[in-house]
Amino acid sequence: MQVLKSPFFIKGFRQMVPITTGVIPFGAVMGTVFFNAKISFVKAMTMNVLVYAGASQLAAVELMDKHAALIVVVLTGLVINLRFLLYSAGLAVELQGASWGTKLLCAHTLTDQSYAVMLAHHDEFKKKSDAIEFYLGTAVCMLLVWHASVVAGYVFGNFAPASWNLDFAVPLSFLALVIPTLKNKTYWLVALFSTVVSILCYSMPFKTGLITTALLSIALAIFLTRKKEV
Amino acid sequence: MTYQLSDNTYFWSVVFLMLAGTLSIRFSMIALSSKIVISERTKEIFSFIPAAILPAFIAPSAFFHQGQVLSLGGKERMVVLIFVTFLFLWTRSTLATICVGLSALYLLTQFPF
Repeated sequence: MQVLKSPFFIKGFRQMVPITTGVIPFGAVMGTVFFNAKISFVKAMTMNVLVYAGASQLAAVELMDKHAALIVVVLTGLVINLRFLLYSAGLAVELQGASWGTKLLCAHTLTDQSYAVMLAHHDEFKKKSDAIEFYLGTAVCMLLVWHASVVAGYVFGNFAPASWNLDFAVPLSFLALVIPTLKNKTYWLVALFSTVVSILCYSMPFKTGLITTALLSIALAIFLTRKKEV
Repeated sequence: MTYQLSDNTYFWSVVFLMLAGTLSIRFSMIALSSKIVISERTKEIFSFIPAAILPAFIAPSAFFHQGQVLSLGGKERMVVLIFVTFLFLWTRSTLATICVGLSALYLLTQFPF
């Protein structure tokens, strides 16, 4: 518990606070989706704590609600989470020599947000342990805000009238997640391609349209960004 | 075989397989330490994952939704999505996007023109 008093931990925690304002609506949507899918509070929170990856959880609950096959649900969720591979590589250097417990804790709490903040402050630390304490500060802040907003969304979903169309908050929050990643025309083109193909592939059996669209879109990205031979 | 969300085996299988898979992904490079270097090319391709998969969630859910507003051909959710795309590009606010998007859909469905 010594780490909680570290100035680096506190700094990390503070740096994260403004960023989590963008997480609250997303967490609230997650909670509402859990409630609307008639998943019990205990089940919902267990999934939330164990998987701890919002976008993939939303996708999984949505697919389960549409009776998609187990393998389709899991594969779709994991494709969404593949990006953590990069974050994991990003933290690896700082965590060299740390205990396995610390490594596992840092791995499980990896999120887009805490990784981004970590990356932005990367050069400020003299010791690896300072960087880890800073990272844990961001991670703990994220963890608290996320779970609190999911709980709030679950409770709120309880009494929101159907005419509010709260299910529409899912595509809206995905939109807010995807747009910042569209860095140039190529990314926009891939996103547009994914939009059209997903509509065309919608009626594919076993809800495989989604994963098919993802793979075709990644193939397009590979093609568009290939190095031109001279 | 039909899959029901109310089926405990189905739900917990998803949870534990996703836990195992996601934690493996998150832990992989940390565990291997810096023995493996990810190439710039791989990083570039990975950066396309959100653009490749997230629109595939957004578009069909709005496009195939049972429309309520006849004057928009039942595609009011598509109209709102296109509108909030521009709103987000302008404001960069998740909260504004969700609130305005939900309000716009509410107004369109409650007071169709």
